[in-house]
Formats: sequence, C-alpha cells, structure tokens
Amino acid sequence: MHELSIVYNILEIVKEHAKNNNLNHINKVVVNVGEFCSLEENSLTFAFEALSKGILCNGAALVIQKTEAKAYCTHCSTEFKVTFMSKLCPICKGYSHQITAGYEILVSSIEGE
Amino acid sequence: MKQIVIKKSVLESNDKIAAMNRTLFNSEHVFTINLLGSPGSGKTSILENIISKISCKYNLAVIEGDLYTAKDAARIARYNTNVVQVNTGGACHLDAPMIYKALPYINTTNLDFLVIENIGNLVCPASYDLGEDMKVVVMSVTEGNDKPLKYPSMFQRSHIVILNKTDMLSLTDFNKEEFYQDIYSLNETIKVFEVSCRDGSGLDQLIDCLMRAIKNKKDV
Repeated sequence: MHELSIVYNILEIVKEHAKNNNLNHINKVVVNVGEFCSLEENSLTFAFEALSKGILCNGAALVIQKTEAKAYCTHCSTEFKVTFMSKLCPICKGYSHQITAGYEILVSSIEGE
Repeated sequence: MKQIVIKKSVLESNDKIAAMNRTLFNSEHVFTINLLGSPGSGKTSILENIISKISCKYNLAVIEGDLYTAKDAARIARYNTNVVQVNTGGACHLDAPMIYKALPYINTTNLDFLVIENIGNLVCPASYDLGEDMKVVVMSVTEGNDKPLKYPSMFQRSHIVILNKTDMLSLTDFNKEEFYQDIYSLNETIKVFEVSCRDGSGLDQLIDCLMRAIKNKKDV
C-alpha cells in the first residue's frame, strides 16, 4: 500500500514543476520505475486516479516506464543487467552486489498547458 | 501543450532527511539498525534479548514503530530502556521524517546503539532509508522457506537475516537447503543467524556480531 505515499510524492513534484512552468492543467505524467522497486502498476494507477481528482492532474494519464536493473562488476569494470535471482557478471561469472539501477522511482516528464 | 523534462526522484524528500539522520548518527558515533520483518516473526522478542545482553555494556535506545498501539514500547520500557513510540496511524512503513521527529525525545549524546523497530511488513519498509547503518530482517520458520523469494527486495537490501523459531523446525516443512539457496541467490553477502528466542540458541552469535559493529562505530 505504499503506492499511495509514492503517488502523493509524485503529485507534489508535479505541482512544483507545473507552477514553475506556468502550467494550469496536466495531461500526462511519465514516471520511471526500477525493476527492484516492488511497486504494482495497477495500484499506482489506482492511487493516481484517486489522489489527482479535482486538482491540477484531474484526468491526466499516468505513464509508467519500467527501467532495467543493473549492477557493476568491479573486476571487469562492466555494467550488466541483473534480476533478483541472478547477479553474476556475464564475463567473469562473479557475483556483484553493486546495484547501479533498479531501485529508482523518478518523475521523468510532464505534459500540460 | 508543453512538455517539461523533470527526472526527479520521488523518494528524494525522504532520502534528504535520511541523510540528516545519518549525519547525526555518525557525528555521535551511534550504531543504528533498522529492524524489519514480518508480523509475528519475533522482532520484539529478539530485541528484548538484545537489550538484556547489551544494555550492561552499551547505552542503547529504541524507536518503536507501530500502526496504532504502544504494546511493544511497553514491553521494551520494562527493561528500563530509553524508548520512543512512533504511531503511523495506519501507514505501512516508517519513513525518515518520522525518525527525525522522534530523535529529540532520545538523548543521542553518549548513545552507542539505536534500534528502530519498523512496522511488521516485508514489502514497503524496504524502500525507505531511515539513515540506519544496517537493515536487519527477521523471519521465522513457521512462515515457510519461500518468503525470501516472495519478498525479494527486502532480503536483497538487508545486511543480516535472522531466522527465528528454529526450535520448531522439526514441526514444519521448512526446507533449510532451499532457504539458503534462495537467500544467497538474492544477496550473496547477507549474514544469516539461526536463532530461537524460546530456547535461546544462536542469540549469542547474533549479539556478538552487533557488539562488534557497535564497537567499530565507537572507534571511528
């Protein structure tokens, strides 16, 4: 259920940037969600619809773009794609716990007028 | 129609305050753990054991997170420990601002060890940095060995996993081999402690590990 607090923070960021750019209505909000965030897409959309009613983002589309999880192998100086179950470097087969991407939740862009 | 590129982290407001908490813990050399785990896994029982073994050597304080009650804080207060209750009013996790607001109620001068007992939940608390040195997650054998893979983010991000209620292993279908295989595939560097708060086994090793970390932070 922390999707609600995540959406609350998304709307705060949108509000701030809409104000700075003189936007009176937002039509689209694009967010990047890392694969390791354990956020459920339907719950995010549901929370977004509920919390944006009657305000700046009323009726806006929430576009969720998943971003791949990656890790860095210090031995091979290479970044590679990882999953929860597999974090072995494709070159040396060593385990990497240096996660470089996958935990981020970003407000990527907004569209409005 | 205008498009504005933002690229701003949604957790930034939490992470900024977590960094302020961490600065305070570091300047006062307070070793801080975020004690996580499922409801009923034995977080408070483990904490009671930690307090009774550590409080004679180090000054410790506890921040107790709970949705509505002060039941756990009342349990901890029996040990004459400095304890602050944070009620989230239904929210499923503690966040850094809640800890920041609780800190004035704790005397951090001369404090060595701070335990933040989070809400019993294996999902949301994993995403919120509180400023701690370590995430310690508790699970128990009665929950089944499939929990690490069902809640991968929590186990992937923790430094220590405590497997509690090992006295009940023979009464359950808990498969230890699968448990270790899953845990290490998620997080090869995680430390595992098998304990039983009921018969006391394994607690000494866990407490030794925490005492070493408290001492290391003191000596920094």
